[in-house]
Formats: sequence, C-alpha cells, structure tokens
Amino acid sequence: MPEKVNAPVSVSMSYDSKTRKVFPKSVIWDNRLYAVTKVGLHHKYREGRSLYHVFSVTTPTLFFRLVLDTETLHWRLEEIADAV
Amino acid sequence: MQSELPFNPAPSTVVHIDINSCFATIEQQARPYLRGKPLAVAAYDTPNGVILAPSIEAKRYGIKTGMRVREGRERFPGLIVRTPDALMYRYVHHRFREILGEYTPEVFPKSIDEFVLYVRGTVDIRATAREIKERIRRDVGEWIWTSAGIGPTRFTAKVAAGMKKPDGLTEINHKNFLAQYGRLELLDLHGINLHLQRRLWRAGITTPLAMYRASLQTLKVAFNSVVAHYWYSRLRGWEVDDVEFARRSYGNSYSLPRPLGAPEELTPVLAKLVNKMAFRMRKAGYQAAGVYLSLSYKNGAYFNRQRTLPEALFDTRDIYKAAVKILKMSPYNAPVKKLAVGCFNLRKASGLQLELFEPTGKKFRAMEAFDRANDRWGDFVITTGTMLETEDYVPDRIAFGSPLVA
Repeated sequence: MPEKVNAPVSVSMSYDSKTRKVFPKSVIWDNRLYAVTKVGLHHKYREGRSLYHVFSVTTPTLFFRLVLDTETLHWRLEEIADAV
Repeated sequence: MQSELPFNPAPSTVVHIDINSCFATIEQQARPYLRGKPLAVAAYDTPNGVILAPSIEAKRYGIKTGMRVREGRERFPGLIVRTPDALMYRYVHHRFREILGEYTPEVFPKSIDEFVLYVRGTVDIRATAREIKERIRRDVGEWIWTSAGIGPTRFTAKVAAGMKKPDGLTEINHKNFLAQYGRLELLDLHGINLHLQRRLWRAGITTPLAMYRASLQTLKVAFNSVVAHYWYSRLRGWEVDDVEFARRSYGNSYSLPRPLGAPEELTPVLAKLVNKMAFRMRKAGYQAAGVYLSLSYKNGAYFNRQRTLPEALFDTRDIYKAAVKILKMSPYNAPVKKLAVGCFNLRKASGLQLELFEPTGKKFRAMEAFDRANDRWGDFVITTGTMLETEDYVPDRIAFGSPLVA
C-alpha cells in the first residue's frame, strides 16, 4: 500500500552529458541507503514561482516519489510503497 | 448495389494516436509496482467514485470507464484504485505534443489521450507511425502503450486506431477497406451510437460492410437527414470531418464529495468553477452573453436554467454574479450533489463595447493581468475573494490545454 510521507530526504543525483539525462542515483531515507534501479517517470509542474521536478523511482525494495524544489534545491519525499 | 462514388484512392495522410487506458497507463509507468495489475483511476477512491480509466489488466475483468469503484471491486476484489494526478497526466500530454510536433506541424490534440496528425509527403506513413510509437516508448516511457490508426481521412484513421488495442498499428485504405470493414460492427464506427444503430437496423443495415454497400437513397431513409451524405462519403474515405467547429460554450461541472445545501457552502464552489471556466474562455479570446446553471439534488430533483444577458461579459466577477442570480432562482431547498455552470452566446473579445458607467477597458486589463499571472504561476494563484474556503472542493481535474511548466 502506498503511504503519503511529505518529509525532507537526501538524494544523490547524476547527470550524463552524453544522453543529457538527469536521474537520482540513491536515496537516504530513515537512515538507510537505497540505490535507485529505475526512474518510472520524471515530470514537472509549477506552483507559484517554484518549478518542481518529480521523480517516481524504484529501488530493489521500495518505491519513492521524490520532489525537487528548483527554487531551494531541496528534496522532499512525498510517497513510499513496496516496490513489488 | 455498389455505389457510384469509389473509395478515395489517395494515399493515407492521417495518423490517429490513442494512448491506451491513458491515466492508468501513466500511473503504471510512474509506479512500476502497479504494472501488470488490475488498476483503476477513479474520481474518488470511495465505493461510489466513478472509474475514469481502468488499466488494460482491469479491462480483462470487464471493468469499464464510468463504472463505480464498488462495481469494479465486485468484478475483481483486488482492484487497486488511485485518484487522478492531473499534473502528471497533463505533463505527459505535453510531452506527446512535443514529440509529435517533430514529425509534422499539423498536430491536433483531440483530448488528453488522442491526437490527429497530418503526415504529408512521406514515403512510408506506416514506418513513420511505427517510429512515433517507438519514440514515445523510448522518450516518455516503456509502459506507455499507444494505438495508431492510419487512413486517408480522420474518420478512417480513428476507426483504424480502435481496431487493435493495446499497441496496435492499423491502416484502412483503398486497398484493404472491404476486409477491414468486414472485421467491424456498426458500433465500432466512430459516430454510430445505439440510437443510430437501431435506425440502421430498421433500414436493413446490420454491418459496416452493408452500410458501405447501401445506396445513398437507403442511407437517406435510415438517417432522414443530411448526415446520410456525410456517412456515404465518410465510408468511402472522403474527408468530411476536418472541420474545426467554432466553440459554442464553455462550462465546468463538479460532483461534490458530500452534498452541500447552504448557499454559503455552495457559492464558493460555484466561484471556483466560474473562475476556471472564465479563464479558459478569455484565453480563447471570447466573452459570453449568456450563462447557465444546472443543479442535481440528492433527493433526485434537478434544476437547470439559463439567462441571456444584455451585454457580453468577460470579467469573472460579473459572470459569477449572473450565476448566483440563477442559483437563487432554484425552487429547491435541498442538498446539492452536482453542479455545472457554463456560458454561451460567445463573441470574440475584440472590439469591446464601452459601457456608460463601467470602466470596461480598465476591467479588461485587470482580467488580462489576472489571467497572465495564473497562466504563468499556476491556476488560482490569484482568485476572486468569493473563492475563499474552497480549498477542499473542486480539485484539479484533467484538462490538457495549459502546460503549467515553463
């Protein structure tokens, strides 16, 4: 069952200049490190003056919905779920 | 009797792209753990919530758009239900527009999940359509299944797109139309509903092939209107559907999560609907000289009234005042479960008629600034005061016009 979270989260990001793709590599949540194995979807939206990037990612055990606020460059975890 | 007008021998130039089970497919793309499972995107996840999009897997259990969540779970108890993520769906729609725009400048979105493309001058339109499908799966997501239909007209392309789902690529052209029509039923023809099917049956036409072979005179008897001519040409691959009809009205409706009775509860919801509607209308360059309101009550009563106005309105506040006047005309004093508001008698906003006592130009500029701010920074960044306390009502529903992304 997915669970709404809405908490700050640590995220390592990677940028590949050849494919020009940006993707989260790992997430530290609840003092545990999770390696991202797949980005399901990356989408964007605006709220007020802020542009948000949403990464829906999976790790071997959990699904995370991560949101990057491009105004502050802070990450927020919005939702978790079992990855399978 | 074989007709005199032959099937259009011109090569196919129209591609119709349809995202299969759109909202559910996008959810499965974003959340891989939902893939392969019966899933429904519903307006609400409560038993009475209406299913907006069942996944391909849910459809296999007979779960259909328009069913209640309760009915869906009767068919498959483990049905997963999610509420819509309008921003995510809208973003995917705009990614589609960007990608399709690289293949042709003539891209016409027909809804959030359907696009019509004119691909002219290509050597192999099937190869182009195949490439578009592959490109979508590569650049938007590998779980985004689309069906493509190809034909010499919008109608043939649309019908072809519906022939194989998911992940279809079908063409109807002058070489294969008899075989393709032979695989269809009357209701598979876009535009034929149960009512028209009954009319055709009465004229002895029971299949698309029989409809194609029918004389114009027989079709005239069946339809008893000018549409007989349209169907006669349409089935022969001649274009009669490329007309972009002028917009006649704008409207918004909303099913309340719980019935509301008191005017002070209803008017903020009405204000939000009017805000959304007026914004869309002004953005398209219109003003309106008519407003309508419909209310469905919990006790089954229904109220619907429209007012023609002496002058065309463009200001959200004026349209709202007109709608509230209609609201006060309702004879029922009962909880409302659904309300709809709209405006009609549309006129192009150029050439504003200056009123004697109202500073119309100033108002117009204020609304322009209001709309620019909302367009740039997101819906309802600036709203009318009447919308206060509507936060819990009228969530963002699916529309596909505004990108909301810089």
